[in-house]
Formats: sequence, C-alpha cells, structure tokens
Amino acid sequence: MIICPYCACNNKEGMLYCEECGRPLNSSEPNATLPTRQLNSSSDNATVHATWGTARFDANAQIVMHVRDSTETIVLKPDQTTLVGRYDSSSTQRPDVDLTPYGALEKGVSRVHAAIYRNEETDTLTLVDMGSANGTHLNGQRLLPDQPRVLRDGDEIRLGKMVTHIYFKT
Amino acid sequence: MKRIDFNPYILLSVAPTASADDIKAAYRRAARRLHPDANRSPGAAVQFQDITTAFDLLSDDAKRAEYDADIKEQPEGMAFNFRVIPSKRTIGLLPEPQVFYLLADIIPDARANEATQKRESRLNLTLILDHSNSMSGNRLDRVKIATHQIIDQLSSEDILSVVAFNDFAEVVIPATTVTDKAAMKARVSMMMAAGSTEIFQGLSLGLQQNRQFLAPRLVNHVILLTDGRTYGDEDRCLDLAREATKDGISISAMGLGQEWNDKFLDELASLTGGSSAYVQSSSAVVAFLNEHVRSLANVFAERMTLSVAPDPDVRVESVFKLAPNPQPLPVDIGSISLGSLQVNRTISVLIQLEVPKLEKEGFRTIGRLAASGDVFANRLQRQQSVTEIALEVMAEPPVEEPPTAILDALGKLTLYRMQERANEALENGDVREATRLFENLATRLFELGESDLAQQARAEAEQVAYTKSLSDKGRKAIKYQTRHLLLASGSGEASA
Repeated sequence: MIICPYCACNNKEGMLYCEECGRPLNSSEPNATLPTRQLNSSSDNATVHATWGTARFDANAQIVMHVRDSTETIVLKPDQTTLVGRYDSSSTQRPDVDLTPYGALEKGVSRVHAAIYRNEETDTLTLVDMGSANGTHLNGQRLLPDQPRVLRDGDEIRLGKMVTHIYFKT
Repeated sequence: MKRIDFNPYILLSVAPTASADDIKAAYRRAARRLHPDANRSPGAAVQFQDITTAFDLLSDDAKRAEYDADIKEQPEGMAFNFRVIPSKRTIGLLPEPQVFYLLADIIPDARANEATQKRESRLNLTLILDHSNSMSGNRLDRVKIATHQIIDQLSSEDILSVVAFNDFAEVVIPATTVTDKAAMKARVSMMMAAGSTEIFQGLSLGLQQNRQFLAPRLVNHVILLTDGRTYGDEDRCLDLAREATKDGISISAMGLGQEWNDKFLDELASLTGGSSAYVQSSSAVVAFLNEHVRSLANVFAERMTLSVAPDPDVRVESVFKLAPNPQPLPVDIGSISLGSLQVNRTISVLIQLEVPKLEKEGFRTIGRLAASGDVFANRLQRQQSVTEIALEVMAEPPVEEPPTAILDALGKLTLYRMQERANEALENGDVREATRLFENLATRLFELGESDLAQQARAEAEQVAYTKSLSDKGRKAIKYQTRHLLLASGSGEASA
C-alpha cells in the first residue's frame, strides 16, 4: 500500500500516480508546483517545527488553533467529531470549539459552522463545512458543503471572515 | 491446413536450426503458460493457438522443409519493430498484489516514406453521414463541404462510397473509383436533412458498400459521422463492428455537438481499431475530416493487432492507446485491433498489469506480448513480433526511476481516469464522490497549467454538487480534452 503524500488516500503498491488526486506518488517529481502563501507574524514562531505540512495526526496528538489578531491559542485533543462554531442563547448545542470570544458573531461564523473529523485508522483529520452561511475556506479554496478535505499541519482555515491557522502538536 | 502467416521459429523462441527435441521442449514450456486450462486470459487463448499452429508445422518434417524452402525464396522486406518497456526491471518481494506497467511501441520501418507508401496503400473509404433533422442548416452544410474536399483529395485509384442515414439509409454514392469527381460532388450536394437518427441502418448499408471492394491490398475504412443518439440498436451495431473487424475493416466514429452517445461510439471504434473523436462545433468538421482522411493515405501496415497474454497469476487491468489517437482499448478480447500503422508514426499502448503477492526471489516471467499486421511494402506479408516479459523479484529492489515516457503518459492518463471514475460515481448516484473527484481533477489541472480545462472541471463539480447531474457538453469536453492531453506526450507524436 502506498499512502499519497498529498491527499492521504491508499493506493496499490506500484502505482505511480494517486488515483484520487492525480498527483505523482514518488516525491521526486521535478516540476511539481506547490502553492505558497504569506505567513503572518503571529503564526511564524509556531510554524518552525519539523512536522509542518504533514497530514499524519498521531493518536495522542493535539490541535493548536490560532485565531488571527489574537494572542491566545486554542489547544484541544479532538474526539471523533469536533464541532466548530459559536454559542449564543438560541443555540441548540454547544460547539466543541466556541469562537464567540474571538468576535465570531461580527466575523460571520455560523452557530454550527464546520466540523473536524478524526479517522483513527489512517491517523488523519478532515475538515467539513456544515452548511455554514458564509462558507469555509481551506487554504484559500472554498469548501462545498459536506465534502471532507484532509487537514494538514499549518493549514489556514477561514470561517466566514475569521482566519485561523491549525498546527499539530505531538 | 491453416495458412501460416508468421514465423513459427520466432513464436516458439527457437533457432531455425533447432532440433525436434528442442522444439518440443520449447512448445511444452510455452503451453504450460498459455494453455486455456492454466490461463484464462483471452490473449493467452489467441497465443496458444498461434504456438500450436507453429508447433504442428515445425514438428512435421515435410512441412518444416517446405516452409524453410519458402522462406529462402522471399526477399528481405521492410518490417515494423516492436519495443516493450517495463515501468521497472526489478520488483519487490511483497506480501500484497502490486501494479506494474508496460509501454508497448510498434514502430514502422524508418526506410518507409510517405511518397512511396501513398502508391502502395490505396483507400477503400466509406462515409456514413447522419442527415437527420438535427443536422439541418450549418451542420449539414459543413459536412457537405468536408465531403467535397475529401473527394478532391482522393485519387482515381481510391474507392469511395457515401451513405446517408436518418431512420432509414440510402446510398448517395455507390462504391466506385474516384474518377468523375463533379458527379460525385453533385450527389452529395443534394442531401437534405430530415427524420431521426438510427445508426444501425446507416452502418449496415455503409459496411455493405465497403465490402464490395474489400481487398487486403486496400485500406478499408469507414467513417461514421453523427450528431444524435440511437436507441435500442447499439448491440446490433457492435455486432456489425465485430464482423467488420474480421473482414479487416476499421471504423472511425465522429460525434458532432452534444447529443450523441460517446460511450457507444467509443466502443464501436475501439473494437475495430478505429478512432473516436468529439467535434465540438460544426466549423471544425471540415478540417477534422480532411485531416483524418489524409492520415489514412500514409499507411505502412494494416490490420495491426496486439495480444496480451499475461502469466496465469498476472492480471491485465487496463489497456490504453496513447498514440496516435488516445483511447481506451478493450481488455476482454484476445487480439486487440489497433487499426493501421502509419508511416513515421508509432503506435504506443500502455498496459497496466497486476502481479499477485510474491513468494520467492529470482527471475520470473510476467507474460507474452505479440503484435501483428500486414505490411504493404512487403507484398502484404503478415508479420508478427513476439516479446517475453521477465522481471527480477528482489526482497529489497534498488530504487529506480520509472522511464520518463511512462511517467509522462501515466500522469495524464490518471486525469482521464479520474473523470471516468467521477462519471461512474455519478451514474451510481454517488454525488459526493463525483463532486470530490471533479474537484480533485480541477485542482490537478490547475497545477499542470491547464486552466481552461480546470475551470470546466470546476464548473462541473459545482453543477454536480447542486443539481446532481452533469451538463452533456461539459462532460464530453472534459472527457475528450483530458484524453487529448496525452497527445502532447507519447513517443508516437515525436516525428509528426
């Protein structure tokens, strides 16, 4: 079995390109183009560690979530499903990550905005938009509702207008 | 006795001087791998017949002497070369199945040139033209112009017939040599659009016309042009195509606009070794048909076939023609038709095989590949070339970079497969899977700099997510354009 370094899908041994995402499975392709993005200062110190970019999320790893323009970080150990949103008096359930203190209402975060699923078999996390009003963007790309995407260390998640960065801590 | 039209020594991989015992041993060895009881693959069945015919001939002293004498008399002619490149030379000793690729190139003799071949390979061409109601106006006009230009292009040695069909078929130009060009053009001009599309009628009458001049000395080719969907007669059409292949007729299919059934036309064409194409706008028809007919005139060898006989435990997963016309080929038939081999153009085929879990180190065979065809320059002698594929199995194989030709082709083929799988998912009602695959396809296309196609894939992904269906236009555009990406790679185009 070969695990695709880009999308973490399983491919049969001997395959040269991932059947799911079409990218080469051997890492030495010379003309692979990788997206770049500017890092802002608040997250710079957190990005300098070895696992940056990995999709592997070990059994006892933790998620570190940075909300842009805030000094605090949210650290959590994800369950199988981690709901992200904001809590107010008319909410029916409290999200696992409540973004109200970070100005979620003004920035257009829905009550149940997105979810992070944990797959213990493949040791990966996926991000799903839960049909939010203002959308969820992963690294600048808008997610379609109910379409899971693999999360990687260092990814940028935008919920409405709120920009956050995700890091894995082992 | 069955006429033997290939070299029996090559088939059994023995020297022309081999003793009777050597020949028997060679036959036994090959039969163990290819006998239908041991090997279920259709390619093996075809090759088993070949080696048995070869053995029958060589094991009979009188026949063998006769054959040897025959061979001496024949002058040395031109031949095609058959080259097979594996994706790696050594494979790992793994406790699980693994995938493995072969790139098979059939290369015409470099001495052949277009000028001499044009005289050698004459054309027996049939055009089957849809003139149903939907063709009215611009489309039919363009088809008429294209047909006129084809008539101009042909010489008095070539044979042309034209059949028009809607829900019933008629002969516009009966099969004849192209001498009275003006009269032929006049007949084409009289075609009028009416009725609905029923391909069986047209195909059956067209093949009947083509058969009137059917000869091995000719390039027997049928071009079917349609813009509509035929209902209920697809299977009968495919039966006609199978019969046509046996007679050495190849069929190319061209779909115009959005309505036609691409799956059906693809199958029809690939069964016979012809090509299938999507002509998006009617303005492209003229150039497209002309180019297609021109390519038919430079034929080095006709009725090329490829048979893939994997070892009993190896499985053929897919066969795809990379050049000259990229298209998927059927895996479930013994000898795969590849149509004609053109001068200065290579036919390239990529084969995906699955090797089972391996138990011991050392060399092992994977399978046999055979290519055959009638070479025009060589008095139409049928030639066959056989290659054995063997690999070394090692517990820790050295790291080797797959050949660039395979990497290039496969990178693009993977994209074609993604759209294919997305379509399958959609047919099975799995909207989520289809959306995801189209999204992935769009992302990958963007990365490769194919932004127009990527936009289209992205638009389709959204369309699928919201409406649970695809636009006919978008689906065909993505299918044929991802296939078209392969043209840029593949060694077959290098000399074009």
